[in-house]
Amino acid sequence: MNFFDLILLPFKWIVSAVLWVFHELFTLIGADPTSGLTWVLCIVGLTLVMRTLTIPLFLKQIKSMRGMQELQPEMAKLQAKYKGKKDQLSRQAMAEEQMALYKEHGSNPFAACLPIIVQMPIFFALFQVLRSVPQAAQNNEAIHLLTPEMVHQFNESTIFGAPLFSTLMQPGNGNHAATIILALVMIVAMSATQFITQRQLTARNMSDSAKESPMYRQQQMMLYLFPIIFAIGGINFPLGVLVYWTVSNLWSMGQQWWVIRNNPTKGSQAERELNERRAAKGLPPVGMTKKEHEEKLVEQRERAAAGQRTQPVSKKRQKQQSKKNNG
Amino acid sequence: MTARVTPEQLLAQAPHEYCLPGGVLRTLTRVPQNVCIALLKLYRAIVSPLYGDVCRYFPSCSAYALEAFTVHGAVRGLGLTVSRLLRCHPWAAGGIDRVPAGGREFPSPAATPKIVLLNHPNLARESTHDCPARHGAAQGANAR
Repeated sequence: MNFFDLILLPFKWIVSAVLWVFHELFTLIGADPTSGLTWVLCIVGLTLVMRTLTIPLFLKQIKSMRGMQELQPEMAKLQAKYKGKKDQLSRQAMAEEQMALYKEHGSNPFAACLPIIVQMPIFFALFQVLRSVPQAAQNNEAIHLLTPEMVHQFNESTIFGAPLFSTLMQPGNGNHAATIILALVMIVAMSATQFITQRQLTARNMSDSAKESPMYRQQQMMLYLFPIIFAIGGINFPLGVLVYWTVSNLWSMGQQWWVIRNNPTKGSQAERELNERRAAKGLPPVGMTKKEHEEKLVEQRERAAAGQRTQPVSKKRQKQQSKKNNG
Repeated sequence: MTARVTPEQLLAQAPHEYCLPGGVLRTLTRVPQNVCIALLKLYRAIVSPLYGDVCRYFPSCSAYALEAFTVHGAVRGLGLTVSRLLRCHPWAAGGIDRVPAGGREFPSPAATPKIVLLNHPNLARESTHDCPARHGAAQGANAR
């Protein structure tokens, strides 16, 4: 057993335990233990459990991403300041100022990858457990908490005639048409949810200043590239894994929508929408108390009532004007 | 004022990090420090480029360690390095984290080892004509 497997072992155990609990639960309430639908529901249950557990990580990631977006204009200034300075000391000075900037905004790009790193073993464990099912069934083995009998049921279960462990490239000995259609539907669903998730983040939840940065253009490109990569990778996943990913992406989309709706970035489209909704309910805009908001409104009204500001007049002209009026 | 040098020249002419005092006994006591400096320089030459910039601090952990050993000697250097490595974990916020002042003193930028120059870039840039004084003033915190 190598180091990688050793790290994954506890995660794989947890994945098998969650699957086992859901399977027992569904059997208890009268579902057919061998039915493909039961096993699909087990995978869906597993997804929901995993995503619920990683909500705090998601929030951290969102916060960090937002910080990165907000510091883009300052970062561009910094890059302009050191433009053309290629010597090592200048590079070091730039690195230092960048680090100070990250710290100030509380978002370090090297810290931002943490949520992804933490989610990695969970996904790998799940992927390995699901992938090892056909092999384990052949050898009549258990997978951690899943008994050999359960592994057999899991391996042989079908959904609409398509084996859960067939892939688009290797449809196995079930209903090939069903496998292909199911895989395609899920690949499209995955790509679409991924696309929508990314799009609502960039289009609705970025401040206008962040939209003018080169990073925004890069993200725009990612927006169109990612679903393509996803679709290409998706053909090699077994249907069971595709179910996990699709549900997971749907969850992400919902999570994203909720966060953007209720806690948008400052100066973004979503914040304007939130403030409109709040105004309709008679609430002050976010980040302002009712009193502050009223004071601001009164001030605005007074300014509007006062009409056009009188232009300042030089002393010379003042005299001339007063003479004209008197004479 | 002596003739000013460019940052590149300053770096190229910087003395090495090793601590070589006169006398047999004093040289012997400096062996652990110099061995550690040599190992760190080797690591920075071979392993660091493979990773690229990954540290969440400035200076990076290996740059910090090299400066700590160069300036503070083997015992304090080791202590400082271990404490920095413990601070550099996935939950740390990162930022600027310098080696504390003290230990070896360097009379002028020209007599300062390369790693100290690299870890205090504005101090070094101030002493060259490349960098106007306002630059140094803005980064006053950079001075050790």
